[in-house]
Amino acid sequence: MGRFLLDCAVNGARVRRWIDPSRTMLEFLREDLGLKGTKEGCGEGECGACLILLDGRAVNSCLMMAVQAHGREIVTIEGIKGRDGGLHPLQRTFMEEGAVQCGFCIPGIIVAAEALLRRRPAATIEDIKLELTGNLCRCTGYEKILSAVELSRGDLKKKGKG
Amino acid sequence: MKLCEFIRPESLAQARAVLRKLGPKGLPLAGGTALHFMPGKVPVTAVDLTGLGLSYIRHKGAFFEIGAATPLSDIQRHRGPRWAMHEICRRISTHQIRNVSTIGGNICRVFPWADLPVVLLAMNARLVIYSGKLKEMGADEYFSSQPARLFRGGDLLAAVKIPVLKAHHGFGSVKAARNAAAFSMVTIAALLELKDGRIAAARVAAGSAIPFPKRLPSVEAALMGKEPSAEVFRAAASLAGNDAKWCKQEGMSAEYVANLAEVSIVDALERAAEFARGRTE
Ligand SMILES: Cc1cc2nc3c(=O)[nH]c(=O)nc-3n(C[C@H](O)[C@H](O)[C@H](O)COP(=O)(O)OP(=O)(O)OC[C@H]3O[C@@H](n4cnc5c(N)ncnc54)[C@H](O)[C@@H]3O)c2cc1C
Ligand code: FES
Ligand code: FES
Repeated sequence: MGRFLLDCAVNGARVRRWIDPSRTMLEFLREDLGLKGTKEGCGEGECGACLILLDGRAVNSCLMMAVQAHGREIVTIEGIKGRDGGLHPLQRTFMEEGAVQCGFCIPGIIVAAEALLRRRPAATIEDIKLELTGNLCRCTGYEKILSAVELSRGDLKKKGKG
Repeated sequence: MKLCEFIRPESLAQARAVLRKLGPKGLPLAGGTALHFMPGKVPVTAVDLTGLGLSYIRHKGAFFEIGAATPLSDIQRHRGPRWAMHEICRRISTHQIRNVSTIGGNICRVFPWADLPVVLLAMNARLVIYSGKLKEMGADEYFSSQPARLFRGGDLLAAVKIPVLKAHHGFGSVKAARNAAAFSMVTIAALLELKDGRIAAARVAAGSAIPFPKRLPSVEAALMGKEPSAEVFRAAASLAGNDAKWCKQEGMSAEYVANLAEVSIVDALERAAEFARGRTE
């Protein structure tokens, strides 16, 4: 098996590692970098628990090979923070709304919502529903998740991010 | 499918040269989302196509040209005069998968659920293949069987050219699926050309409920010369069984699927007629 020198940025820090090209991005993040916030649900693109930002776009890390991130910038849930390094507005509104139960799906949902709000700060509820089509939650029933994202959008508009 | 190496060529010519050298041990890789669906125990060397400048959408004369490595989300968000590709792209899987999946990946190896081949057949798209030089092929020939046949020698899809629809053209596509992100049960696309209020040309294609995407010539013939109406569309759709043997699907008999296909054909034709009358969404 060959080796590949992966050079990319993860949560703002440069990472250079020799990796096995058959490693998925999800394996690389969780097992090689110890970033366990990104979850594996289905492993086949259907649940969204593994979402990360790749050059600002949300992608499923279970379907992506780590080598595909060469020269690119990755942000995981660990890298989503408020400006002061504390809670991000999305994290705050998820807590305030009680939108988290077991929490397994939440990193993926926050990543999806962050991608949307970066692209479209004034996203409508329909935009939010569409964006979260790829995220499954077995606990909350989605209503509180949707209102947490909506509320955070107001928060972003009012206070500026973080 | 597993990878044993990852190569990042700098040009189409370099990518082709590497793939020719590797033979069956090489694999062009765009978004990589289909690796998961491809069998094969022997690891392959992936040749990355995402750094070759093949991600673009350009309006060039009578065509929109879409680079083969353009992600579906870009096609979904693009707007241009009488642009119709967003309609199907927003129905393909989830936003996150569309951020990575490319038009080339969807149509170079056609999976049974692939939606774009149906649309490109109806639209009479042209496929631009790089084989040392660029050559074009019509959609009918390209999709006459699994297109992967065209790429075994290291050739690559460079772009897809979609005719710019004129005021007298109508286009509609319909994907029947269990939910927004699910694989299609039936996908139908229809292109109508109207002249003096009558249908002067029609291209209707189907996919998903049949072994491989194809046009429906009996349906097309039944539309010719007629004024578009619900009755005409229903009569034409009822002939689809002459062209396609609809397969049963999970939880659905073949008869149910045939019914679903007929209803979807009528819907796609109605959407096409609305498009000709000025519908944009
Ligand atoms: C969970 C899930 C659900 C999906 N649902 C749907 C759906 O409902 N409808 C639908 O249409 N699609 C759907 N897809 C997408 C589809 O099945 C493929 O995964 C996707 O289109 C492949 O695109 P890619 O860019 O990732 O291609 P890759 O995985 O990189 O490549 C796919 C194949 O095409 C070849 N290839 C790619 N580009 C070129 C080129 N330029 N020249 C020559 N060969 C090339 C590769 O060698 C490979 O054989 C779904 C995917 C997933 C993961
Ligand atoms: S683990 Fe990636 S989508 Fe479910
Ligand atoms: S909170 Fe448990 S899966 Fe969503």
